[in-house]
Amino acid sequence: MKANKTNNPLRLGLWVFLLLALLTAVEFAFALWFGSWLLLLLAALAKAGLVLVYYMHIAKLFKVDESIDRESYGYKLATNRLGLWLFMVSDSFIFGGLMLSRLNLMGLTRPELDQALGLGVTSLLLVSSFFMNRAETSLAGGDRRAFLASAFITILLGIGFIIGVLGVEWQLAPFGPGDGPQGTVFYSMTGFHAFHVFTGIVFLVIIFRNGLRGRYSVEKHWAVEACAVYWHFVDVVWIFFYPALYLIGTVVP
Amino acid sequence: MKEFFSLGLVRGLVYQFFGALAGIGIISGIRALMGLETAGSFGFSEPAWVFGALLGAITFLFGSGVLDDWLKWAAGEETADHHDGSHLGWRRYFGPSLDHKVIGIQYLVTALFVMAVGGSLALVFRTELAASGLQFLTTTFQVFQQNGMQLYNTLMSLHGMLMIVSILLGIAALMNYAVPLLIGARDMAFPRLNAFSFWIAVPAAIILLSSLFLGGFDTGWTGYPPLSARAPLGMQMFFLGVSLAGFSSILGGLNILATVIRLRVPGMAPFRMPIFVWASVATSIISLTATQLIGLSFQMVMLQRLFGLGFFDPAKGGNPVLFQHLFWFYSHPAVYVFVLPGLGIISELLPVFVRKPLFGYRWVAMSSLGIALVGFLVWGHHMFTSGMAEYLRVPFMYSTLLVAVPTGVKFFSWVGTVWRGKISFPTPMLYVLAGIIVFLMGGLTGPPNATVATDLHLHDTYYIVGHFHDTMFGGYIFPFFAAIYFWFPKVTGRRMNETLGKIQFWLLTPSFLALTFSMMQVGLLGMRRRVADYDPALGFDLSHLVMTISGFLVAASALLFIINLIHSARKGEPAPGNIWDSRSPEWQVASPMPVENYEIPFEVVGEPYDYGMPGSKFVEFKRGRHESK
Amino acid sequence: MKHMLLIGILVAISTISIHTGLDSIGLLPPQASAQAIAIDELFEWHVWMISFLFSLIVVTLVYSLIAFRRRRGETGDGAHIEGHAGLEVLWTMAPLFVVVYLAFIGAQSLGETRRVDPSALEVDVIAGQWFWRFEYPGQGVVSTELVLPVDRQVYLRMESLDVIHSFWVPEFRVKQDIVPGQVTELRITPIMTGSYKVLCAELCGTSHAYMEAVVIVLDESDFADWLAGQSASVEDDPVARGRRLSEQNGCLACHSVDGSQKVGPTWTGLFGSQVRLADDSVALADENFIISSILDPDMQVVEGYTAGVMPSNYRDLFEESQLDDIVAYIISLGK
Repeated sequence: MKANKTNNPLRLGLWVFLLLALLTAVEFAFALWFGSWLLLLLAALAKAGLVLVYYMHIAKLFKVDESIDRESYGYKLATNRLGLWLFMVSDSFIFGGLMLSRLNLMGLTRPELDQALGLGVTSLLLVSSFFMNRAETSLAGGDRRAFLASAFITILLGIGFIIGVLGVEWQLAPFGPGDGPQGTVFYSMTGFHAFHVFTGIVFLVIIFRNGLRGRYSVEKHWAVEACAVYWHFVDVVWIFFYPALYLIGTVVP
Repeated sequence: MKEFFSLGLVRGLVYQFFGALAGIGIISGIRALMGLETAGSFGFSEPAWVFGALLGAITFLFGSGVLDDWLKWAAGEETADHHDGSHLGWRRYFGPSLDHKVIGIQYLVTALFVMAVGGSLALVFRTELAASGLQFLTTTFQVFQQNGMQLYNTLMSLHGMLMIVSILLGIAALMNYAVPLLIGARDMAFPRLNAFSFWIAVPAAIILLSSLFLGGFDTGWTGYPPLSARAPLGMQMFFLGVSLAGFSSILGGLNILATVIRLRVPGMAPFRMPIFVWASVATSIISLTATQLIGLSFQMVMLQRLFGLGFFDPAKGGNPVLFQHLFWFYSHPAVYVFVLPGLGIISELLPVFVRKPLFGYRWVAMSSLGIALVGFLVWGHHMFTSGMAEYLRVPFMYSTLLVAVPTGVKFFSWVGTVWRGKISFPTPMLYVLAGIIVFLMGGLTGPPNATVATDLHLHDTYYIVGHFHDTMFGGYIFPFFAAIYFWFPKVTGRRMNETLGKIQFWLLTPSFLALTFSMMQVGLLGMRRRVADYDPALGFDLSHLVMTISGFLVAASALLFIINLIHSARKGEPAPGNIWDSRSPEWQVASPMPVENYEIPFEVVGEPYDYGMPGSKFVEFKRGRHESK
Repeated sequence: MKHMLLIGILVAISTISIHTGLDSIGLLPPQASAQAIAIDELFEWHVWMISFLFSLIVVTLVYSLIAFRRRRGETGDGAHIEGHAGLEVLWTMAPLFVVVYLAFIGAQSLGETRRVDPSALEVDVIAGQWFWRFEYPGQGVVSTELVLPVDRQVYLRMESLDVIHSFWVPEFRVKQDIVPGQVTELRITPIMTGSYKVLCAELCGTSHAYMEAVVIVLDESDFADWLAGQSASVEDDPVARGRRLSEQNGCLACHSVDGSQKVGPTWTGLFGSQVRLADDSVALADENFIISSILDPDMQVVEGYTAGVMPSNYRDLFEESQLDDIVAYIISLGK
């Protein structure tokens, strides 16, 4: 019975991931062969939609609960969920501001960046989202082992992303932070985003450690849910930042 | 001694001091290892000071104890849901408390303190401006590594931002104290987040104040680059202080929204909420979202200074006008954050003193949301002369004028509320009425700024200064005083002194009107804002003298207020019951408010403002009801 | 209702009184440009609107406060009136129409101020901390005063050397920020001869309050005379060249040539003197000292003055020969 409870959501998680990977490849193709910002935007919206619905379970936010006991766990859980989403709405404004600044400063040109690296770090993040979803789903289904393993892999992939961006890309970029709009846009967008990935990793380490000590149950694991939803949010930001930095328009001469 | 250092505030400050030193040391050390210059204008390099200030703020939070519960959760420990600190007595106000009422008072006291400092700075430069020619802030006058004219710029800039911070703290005080009471909740949705929102404002304010001593800054509170990119070290303290204070506003807004959505008593439908709750919701929508943009724009200049990123540096392909777009995208909606709670107070209190329903309650509720929404679309009216794209000017003019419509609904509703009432005039009512009239003046002096052609003349003059002082006093200061006089008995069980209150009111109101009228008069005639000196040939000396004297009288009235507050808290006339005969739930229980708010939850059995309908009630406390568990 | 009638009369009286009162104060400076005419007409609309709306609300409010006040000994509540849908619609729609109309005439007014005259006189405006320079490209004239012909549009092309400044002559009404990295434009048609001041209207640092220049509007023939009198040729005398450079690049905004106290040290008697510095050392004010003070102002700050005030971009603005000319001028001001 336990296996059945987790099977379908796990499989769903896998399908969503495969779709996301496919859409990423499609994006790349769009950029290469069509160069249309509108198509790239649509692809990004589709990816974001998938993550919002299937990984972040946005529908849970609108579940009307009829319980009136304000002190019950279930009531507080729903309140916590609302709080987290309000937080993410607020955080979006920072990334929105960065995006608008990028468009104001560089228009439809983009910085000169290594595409392989870009695809590489994007893949790391995407796969990490898959494992993050797997971790949350496993725990919700009672499989603590799988939760721990998947959470651990997510941490590694997250660290990999940070190393990939700060350790590799930042060092190899042909321009520095003070080198024109390229530098301004690239370092600020990847910097703010990487900071959020870092905080996500810290969150993950905390829930991993607490998970090891058996603090979470099928009924009570809000911290894990929150960590997962936050992680996916950071992924959604990258879903928009990646094409904005690597795929849109033409390279600055 | 031990007791002193056990207070959260004290420990926080000690931790902040050492954290700042550590931060300065760490960066200086790293720089030394990297072969970079470690010395700077105030001993250490700018990056060292910035990191030191930031680390100091973080260590403050640890030292204060506000993070303790969260740290326990991270370590996998459980904590109690409610920490009852009532046994601590007065001490609980000096450390983290989870009780929204304590936090509200903490916000209030801090707001008044910041207001006093900000106001005092204004008195200094108003003294300088009383006559043309430089009196004492001359070029030979030197303090804190600034000459007199640089100091003028710093004082004027800090006055602006300190008043803004004091308003944010003041509205947080009102909303935090009142909203849970008005909706029948035991506390806010996230009490620890609530405590955090207050406590982060403390190091933020300290860092902001430190700018005065670290070279000051000469940009005005708006911090425009390129000037802010080349300003002294104080500029960074300003940017950092504001960013941190911004978090207080953002998280506070989040808490209000979650609380109102999730914790209303069952039966309190949205259109049966007290109107101040609607005002708080509209305010919080803005503060949750738009505030991020002032943080972002300031952090961009910080990054430009620290790491050479070229956001606003034309030499690096940057765009100075981009800053203004980002900055005003928050800072315009921000002014609605400042006034929506106060306008909500006016709507909330009028029915009590005219004994009549709030006219068109639903329309008034919607008007707050309307102002908030339209308020997001008007920021360009601060930039009509900025050199932004020409095609933007007319649309922003239309959207700006449109805000007058929901605002007008409020004014007409207030008149409708007063019409055929049975009106009495205790001190809170005086403040409400003056608030209406002063905010009306502020609002009516807006359209000339909204129409682009006239704004070309008015922009950056004292007319603008007069306009926003009218709107800020009318929309915040006057209703703020009204709210405190009104709810003081609920908080303390005593009344504030009526005679002193009326004296304070009559001292404040005419002085303030003289102040802002003079401002607008000289502004129209050519007086620029943000100038330390002005040409005697302009003939503005008399008006400036009037402004200075009025300013001092306003300050005197504020002092009177604080005296009244402190004196009444200790020796005020006892007021244990519903002294205003209000229908609102909080007045149906004893004063001071019990620590758990409503031991027996109330039920909503009628409309909030059905004054004049005999036998009607808004809420009822069903005593002896058993909950089957 | 007799209340309404009475209120109506009082509102009318109040409106007219306020409007008359405001008009009699003389709210605006003299109208010295064609743009000012359009703008002042719009202001007049606003004054009427303000007078009326203020009266409408305040008179009704105060009337109510008096008429419906609780008299001594009276108990009981007010009338139970919850609202009135018709009134709500009225006072939502009417203001809506009014503001849309106001925006419409506002746009028209703006259009008036932006009228382009293809035969406008072009003047380039250079703004820097804390001075103005005006260049007449068509005539090869450079001046520290803005001299303009009456009844002819001037097309200002404006650039900043450092931070954001703003061009404003109150009598002309229109204002435009000057943004580094861009060229901003302003068109003005002076209609009254006379002397005015252009003021910097965007906070630009320490001496923002003093950043002004003289504006003179002349008859066409006087203007032609003035143009002719401006010599565009390079002068032979280095002292004269140096003086002109000092005038046109803002030096004299902060350094006096008559010994008086300004934002920076006076140049009178500077050359060859022993200068006490902020770090208590003493330096000789020779050529090298003066030139390095221009190029790196914060390296050797004079005692009694603060660092960070003098702009440090002069190394981008001056050639070596120009620096020598300035030194020559300073030498001429006495030892």
